[in-house]
Amino acid sequence: MPDKPSFPKPQLPGVLKGLGVTLRTAKETMFPDGLLRPPAPSRGAATVQYPHEKEEPAPRARGVITLVEDNCTACMLCARECPDWCIYIEAHKTLAPPRREGGKPRQVNALDRFDIDYSLCMYCGICVEVCPFEALFWSPEYEYSEPRIADLLHDKERLGEWFETVPDFETLEAGSEVKVKKVPR
Amino acid sequence: MTAVTDRQKLQYIAARAADARVNVELETEGMTLNIGPQHPATHGTLRIVARLDGEQVIAAEPVAGYMHRGYEKLAEVRTYAQITTLVNRIDWLGSFANEVPFILAAERLMEVEAPPRATWIRTILFEMSRIANIILFLGDMGVQLGAITPVFFAFRDREYVLDQIERVTGGRFHPNFDRIGGLKDDLPKGWLADTAQVMEKVRTFCDEIEDLLMGSEVFQQRTRGIGIIPPDVALQYGLSGANARASGIDWDLRRDGCVGLAYPEVDWKVWTHPDGDSFARFWVRLQEVREATRIIDQLVEGVPSGPIMAKVPRIIKVPAGEAWVSTENPLGEMGYYVVSQGDLTPFRLKIRSASFNNISITPWLLRGVYVPDIVTILASLYFILGDIDR
Repeated sequence: MPDKPSFPKPQLPGVLKGLGVTLRTAKETMFPDGLLRPPAPSRGAATVQYPHEKEEPAPRARGVITLVEDNCTACMLCARECPDWCIYIEAHKTLAPPRREGGKPRQVNALDRFDIDYSLCMYCGICVEVCPFEALFWSPEYEYSEPRIADLLHDKERLGEWFETVPDFETLEAGSEVKVKKVPR
Repeated sequence: MTAVTDRQKLQYIAARAADARVNVELETEGMTLNIGPQHPATHGTLRIVARLDGEQVIAAEPVAGYMHRGYEKLAEVRTYAQITTLVNRIDWLGSFANEVPFILAAERLMEVEAPPRATWIRTILFEMSRIANIILFLGDMGVQLGAITPVFFAFRDREYVLDQIERVTGGRFHPNFDRIGGLKDDLPKGWLADTAQVMEKVRTFCDEIEDLLMGSEVFQQRTRGIGIIPPDVALQYGLSGANARASGIDWDLRRDGCVGLAYPEVDWKVWTHPDGDSFARFWVRLQEVREATRIIDQLVEGVPSGPIMAKVPRIIKVPAGEAWVSTENPLGEMGYYVVSQGDLTPFRLKIRSASFNNISITPWLLRGVYVPDIVTILASLYFILGDIDR
């Protein structure tokens, strides 16, 4: 038979004890410096006054996807792997100057269109993960809500603007054998 | 155990007899009460059709399916990486725990094993999602009884746990962090030390909730002896998780059927309670949160070094075969039955989620209770609508 919890007879009624917890928390919220100091609920509270104060999101937070246009070869891997197909890519072939002196001009894909529809995006990060050319990155930026749903379709210029907000990859915990990648800037 | 049920039955019979006497003079007739599909007390779109006689429920039937998203069918046309994204959204409060059994099933078919470091981090995140999930239950139970304060405390302290999950995975609710053969990324520096501090906060929260709710006479009046599930009935309806353990069934898949997670390495205990009432379910969950903080503390101390990813091909094709893996999720036993024919996508994916079985007992359980107790009993059964409807 499993052991049954035993409840010692409480010293004071449980309701009062509960009220004590509430009062203590209220005191810690309103007077974080002690009862004799002036009240400072902005420091004691667990919340922040959002538009005026902002919390720093974690560097790995999946806020918005950003595009480095020069690295993209329009290989379409991200568009194919996207679970709800919210990436739209169009490209045309063009000739780029040769890498070495006297070489032949290279044939490359130039992006015409690279759109991500954030009204469909599930923020799974599969596109960032499958990109073999380091053209897609996560940024923890989150303030891009729109009154019109059609404006959530970000084109390649807008996706490129987010690149400034991409943080460097964090160093890893001891014992890790993963190489920390660098953000190409 | 049986003595209590007999008392419940006798009370019901006596109440019916008293009603029958009144009926001689006062003609009463039954009434059908629809609770839901949109009702704050049902945590989502669960509809309960209750047939009432006065304040007493004669028959109650849960109607699920208002949020059915067809994950089993969707999974048949999605690759394994995309399914991991989908199954995040089954039990959205403990999302990481949904990925683990699916990935383990796929790993079993592919015959790869995650390296020890990945297994340990998986177990830490698994337990953290359990804490994030059950903390909300502990606060929410108070709201269902009319106490507003506990839920604010719960939201405040759950945020510390979610922040830790976000620092590793990048998502508060939808981590999408588990991969076949390991994990997506390693832990950021300083995370393990911060986790130990957060666990300290969670333990403080458990003490606060104990003082706030469990000791309260009002809370005990509303939950003790209400909604009793005897162990044999619990087994017949296939209850699992804390609901079964609160009925005295000593069954925990972390101990009794652990595959691919680091639980055997840790010293911990399965909590059970013999009463089987709403209070017991609350008590068992509270102890489970405490136990989870102990498990995490031990795991954090000894995360082995090494790689976090086994060797797997870049394009994952799971060989033909069938595999069933279930784990002890925050809500109960959750399992995936993967049938593969060697394609990029599974041929069939059967999802066994705990909440569907846990609410299937409501017609039996709600018979004879009073209307205000419907809400407390449903709250103590603790289901997530996404977990019922999938």
